[in-house]
Amino acid sequence: MSKNMVSVTIDGRTVEVEAGSNLVDASLKAGVQIPHYCYHPKLSVVGQCRMCLVKIEGMPNLQTGCTTQIMKDGMEVRIDDDEVRAAQEGMMEFLLINHPLDCPICDQAGECGLQDYSFKHGQAFSRFSYEDKRTYPGKERIPLGPNVVLNMNRCIQCTRCVRFTEEISGTGELGFFQRGSRAEIGVFPGNELDNPLSTCVVDICPVGALTSTQFRFAERVWYLDKKPSLCTGCDAGCNITLEHRRGKIQRYKPRANDEVNDHWMCDFGRTTFQAYDEPRLSTPKRRNGRGEIRTITWDEALTSIHHSLAHGAAMGTVGILARGAATTEEAYLLKLLADSLETPHRGGLREPGPERLIPTSNGGLVGSEITPNRRGAELAGLEAPSSAERTAKMLAGAVNGAHSALLLFDGGRAGLDNALRSPAALEGLRKAETIVVVGWATTELTEIADIVLPIATHAETEGTLVNSQNRIQKFERAFPPPAGVRTGVEALVDLLRKFRPDFAPKTVADVFGLMATELSALEDVSLTELPASGIQLPVRPQ
Amino acid sequence: MAAEAILLRRSHGATALQAPVPLEAYRGDGGYEGLEKALSMEPGDVIEEVKASGLRGRGGAGFPAGVKWGFIPKETDQPKYLVCNADESEPGTFKDRLLMETDPHQLIEGCAICCYAVGAHICYIYIRGEYVRQAEILETAIREAYDAGVLGDNVLKSGFKLDMRVHRGAGAYICGEETGMLESLEGKRGQPRVKPPFPAIIGAFGAPTVINNVETLCNVPHVMTRGAQWFSDVGTDERNTGPKLYCISGHVERPGVYEFPIGVTLDELLEAAGGVLGGKALKAFIPGGASAALLGAEHSHLPMDFDSLAKVGSMLGSAAVVVMDETTCLVRAVQRLAKFFAHESCGQCTPCREGTNWSQLVLGRIERGEGRPEDPDLLLRMTANMSGTALCALADACVGPVRSLVQNFRPEIEEHLAAGRCPHPYRPVFEETA
Amino acid sequence: MPETEVAAAELPEEVAGAIDELRRHYPTAEALLLPALHFAQKHWGGWLPEEAILAVAAELDLAPAKVLGVVTFYDLFHQSPIGRHRVRVCTNLSCALRGGQEILESVKRHLGVGENEVSADGRCSVAEFECLGACEQAPMMMVDDEYHPRLTPQSAAEILEGLD
Repeated sequence: MSKNMVSVTIDGRTVEVEAGSNLVDASLKAGVQIPHYCYHPKLSVVGQCRMCLVKIEGMPNLQTGCTTQIMKDGMEVRIDDDEVRAAQEGMMEFLLINHPLDCPICDQAGECGLQDYSFKHGQAFSRFSYEDKRTYPGKERIPLGPNVVLNMNRCIQCTRCVRFTEEISGTGELGFFQRGSRAEIGVFPGNELDNPLSTCVVDICPVGALTSTQFRFAERVWYLDKKPSLCTGCDAGCNITLEHRRGKIQRYKPRANDEVNDHWMCDFGRTTFQAYDEPRLSTPKRRNGRGEIRTITWDEALTSIHHSLAHGAAMGTVGILARGAATTEEAYLLKLLADSLETPHRGGLREPGPERLIPTSNGGLVGSEITPNRRGAELAGLEAPSSAERTAKMLAGAVNGAHSALLLFDGGRAGLDNALRSPAALEGLRKAETIVVVGWATTELTEIADIVLPIATHAETEGTLVNSQNRIQKFERAFPPPAGVRTGVEALVDLLRKFRPDFAPKTVADVFGLMATELSALEDVSLTELPASGIQLPVRPQ
Repeated sequence: MAAEAILLRRSHGATALQAPVPLEAYRGDGGYEGLEKALSMEPGDVIEEVKASGLRGRGGAGFPAGVKWGFIPKETDQPKYLVCNADESEPGTFKDRLLMETDPHQLIEGCAICCYAVGAHICYIYIRGEYVRQAEILETAIREAYDAGVLGDNVLKSGFKLDMRVHRGAGAYICGEETGMLESLEGKRGQPRVKPPFPAIIGAFGAPTVINNVETLCNVPHVMTRGAQWFSDVGTDERNTGPKLYCISGHVERPGVYEFPIGVTLDELLEAAGGVLGGKALKAFIPGGASAALLGAEHSHLPMDFDSLAKVGSMLGSAAVVVMDETTCLVRAVQRLAKFFAHESCGQCTPCREGTNWSQLVLGRIERGEGRPEDPDLLLRMTANMSGTALCALADACVGPVRSLVQNFRPEIEEHLAAGRCPHPYRPVFEETA
Repeated sequence: MPETEVAAAELPEEVAGAIDELRRHYPTAEALLLPALHFAQKHWGGWLPEEAILAVAAELDLAPAKVLGVVTFYDLFHQSPIGRHRVRVCTNLSCALRGGQEILESVKRHLGVGENEVSADGRCSVAEFECLGACEQAPMMMVDDEYHPRLTPQSAAEILEGLD
C-alpha cells in the first residue's frame, strides 16, 4: 500500500507527511510541538481547548491545529508568531484564572500540561486578582470508581476522559454535565467508573483532575526513573513505561505503540508489579540429605545442577520446562540446554487466563494467556502443549523413575501456572529425584525444589517477548537485581557452559544474535536494531 | 416612509394577539402560489431565483440563502434535510415568534419551497423550548397542510414527497448556532461542531442539511411569487435586499415588530414606534441583538443594513433594536448581556467558557463601584483573547457589546471608577395598570 | 452499559407510547432524547427525578451519564421538584430596562421564596430567566406556558394570586 505523501512547512521547516495527517501530529515531525490539551490522536477531534491555534498561510483567522488535516502539498504554518503567542498566552490565562494552583500537593505536578505550557507559553503574573475563583465545593476528591479520583477544581473541561469512556472503553460511565463556566465531568449518581481500562483516563488527563488511587501521594514524579518496558500481566504485550525510584516500582504507564496497544493498558496490568514485593529468593539454595534447605554459592549450585541433569540424561529422564514468563532469550538458552542433554522432554507452558481486551484502532488487541511469552518460548524452540492434559503427559514423561531430573524455569506468583500448581501436579513432580527451580520468588514450587536459583525479575533484566499478535518486542532493564541475584540469561549461560565450555555468548544481545541466525524472521536483526515498536513475525497457525 | 407589508401582510402588528391565519384564509390571500410555482420549475432554477433575489440570512449571519442551498450536493445516496432555525433566543429578538404565531403557513410554504429546491424530503422546524404555544400553532398548521395535500406523499399533486416535524428545544441559546442546533436535534448537548465540514455536506445525522432562519424562509414564497427582480429592488443596494423585520424594544413608546425595506434608519424606526419612551433623549442603541456593538445616538441616521452597520463596527445581526435613554447605566446594560453570554456558553471551549464569565464579573465590579483603573484595558485585552479564538461565534457575540462599551462609551466607565459607585441608579417607572 | 446501583425505572406506558409514535420520524433513537425528556418531565410533574432519567436512558439505549449531560445542559429540564406552577421572570436587557429585575424581586417577595424554591403553599416556583422572546411585552414573565405582558409589581402579584 503506497502512502500518498504531502509536504507541509512549519516555521520554515518542510516535512513530508502522509496525506490526511493531523497538523498537531505532523508538527512533531518538524520538531515543533503545538501545545494542546483536548486533542488526543486516538480520540475524536473536538477542537475545544483552543490551545493549538496556529497561523495558516491564506486563512483569515488563527486555526486550531487539531482540526486541520494536511490534504495537499504546500501548506505553510506558523507557530513562532506574535499573534499565535498572544493567543496561547490568552488561552493559558483563561485556563488558570479558576485553577486552584495547588501544584505543591498535586500528583500531576512535574508532568502537568498546565505547568509545562505556563512555563513555555504563559505569563508570569495574574490579572485575575479581584474576583473569586469558581470552585466546585465538595468535589475536591470524588472517588469516581475503584481506581480513579476526581478533583473537579483542577479540571479544564477538555473532555478527553469522557470521550475515552464513550469511544474507547465503550462503557460511557463519564459524562459532561452542566454548561458554561459550571461545566463539569462526572458519573451518573450511583454509578462508578469501573471498566477494565478505567485508569487510562488518568493517563490522558492533561492536568491533576484525575488521579490514580494506586499512585496518589505515592511519590513525586520527578524522583521517578522511567524505562521503556512491557507489561507481563498477560500475552497482549502492552508497551509500558516502568517508573521506579531506587528499584521500587511505583507505577506502570502505557507507552504509545500504534501497532500494539495504542496508548492504553488495562487496570490489571498496572497492578502486576506488586508481585515483585513478594518474598524474593536472594541466594542459591540446596536441600540436604535431611530435607533442610540451605544456602550455597552460585558455583556450588551450578555444579550441582549440572550433575543432576547430566545424571538424569544418562540414567533416566530429564525435563526442561519454561514458563511463558521466560524471555525469548532465556527460552532459547533452555532449548540449547535441552539439546545438550539430548532430551525430548522439553517445552513451554500454555496457561489460558481471563481475556483482556485493549480496543485499538487496528481492530483490538487481545490477551488470553496468563504468561506473556508462550509464543516467544515456541519461537525459541520450546513448544507448549496445547492442553492441560498434554502438559501433564509431558511432565509424566519427564518425571519417570528414580533417576529423573526436572528443571523448571519459573517466575513469581504473578500468573501462577495452575497446570503446575494443582495438588495433583505437585504430587506428580515430587516423583522426580531432583527438581531444580529457577525463579525470583518463593512459591509452592520452591517449597518442593531440591535446588533453587535466584534470578532477576523482568524489571531487573532485558530481553524480548512475543505477544499474542506474534510480534516480538524488546524491553529494557530498569534497575539491577539485588546483590547475589543474577539474570536468567547470566544463570543459564553459566549452566550451559558446564555442558558446552566453548559456548561464547555472554549477554542478552549475544544470545539474541545467535538466535537470529537460526530464525529467518529475525535475519540480520540485532537486539539494538530491533525497532521500538517491535517486529511482526508471521503468525503461526494455532 | 410608508412601507408595504410583505412578511406581515396577514399579521396585525407585533403587539396584537391574534389567532393564527388558517390554511383557507392563507390560500385565499395567494398563499401556496409560490410553492405551486416552484414545483412547476426545475429545482436548480428555484435555487437560481433565490440567488438572484440576493436574499441574505435573517438569523444574524447574513449569508446568502440561495448560495447556501447551492452547496447541497445534487447527486448523493444520502437523505437531505432542511432544519428551520426557530430557536429565536437572541435578547431583543421576537420577530420569528410573531411570524409563527400569526402566519404559520407562510413559514411552512417557505420550508416546502426550500425542500423542493434542494431535494430534501424531511424538514425539522427546531423551535425554542419556551415557545410552547407557538409550537402548537405550527403543529396545527402542519396538520392542516397534510390534510389539504400541501404536505405529505404528494405535495400539491406534484409527486414531490415532504414530511415536516416540529422539534422542541429545551432552553439553550447556543442551539441557535447551526451546528449546536444539529447536535441538539440529534439528541445531544447543543455544543457547536468543528467546521468544516459544513452542514451542507455533513449536517443532521451526517447528511447534507440546509439550515435557515424562520424569517429567511418566510421571504421565500414572496421571492417565488413576485420574482427575484422585485425582491432585489427593495432595500439599500444589491447586497442588502428585501423587506426586513425590525424588532424594537427597551425605552421606546410602542415596542414591537416593524417591517421596512432593509436599511431603515433608527430615526425612521423610532418615528414608527412613537419615539423614545417618555420623550427622553436617546443615549445608545443596539442595532442587531445582544451580540451587536452598542452605538451612540450619533448613529441614529445610519441605514440599518448588513454593510452600513458593519462599517461602524456593529452589525445588523437579527435586527433586534434595543433603545436606551439618557438615564440608562450602560455598564449595567452590558453587564447584563455579558451575564447572558456567560450563562449560555456551552462550556466546551476555553475562551468562551472562561472569558464570558470573567467579563461579566469585571463589569459587575465596575458597576458596583469597585472597579480599578486598569479594568477598561483589562476588558479590551480579555475580549481580544476571545475574538476569533473560539470554536463558534458565542465568544465573539459577547465581545461585541463589551468591547463597544469600552471603545464607544469609555467615559461612562471612568465615571464609575471616579465616583466609586454607579452614577446612574435605576428607578423603574411602571406603567399604570389599565 | 455500566452496572448501575440505581434501580432502573420503567417508563410509564403513555410516555413509552409517545416516544414510539415518534420513532419513524427520526433516523436515530438518540434524536428522540429531547422529546422523550419533555414527555417524561411532564409525566413526573414538571421535573426529572433520577429514576425518570434512567428510564429514558434505558428506553433509548443510551448511557445514563450521557442523558444526564443532556438534562443538565438545557434550562427547561429540572432536577428538583417544583410548585404546581413554574414562574419564569425575564431579566434580560429589554425587560431590565423596563423593570424586569424589580418584577423578579417583587414576585419572590410576594411568594416568600428564593431562586428555584417552592412557595410554602406548594403553588409556585420562581426562576430568573434569560430573554423569552417577548421583548415588546417588557417587563414580562411566563407562568407555565403562558406569557404575561407589561407587568407591574401589582399586576404580577394579582396574576400569582389568581393561580390555583
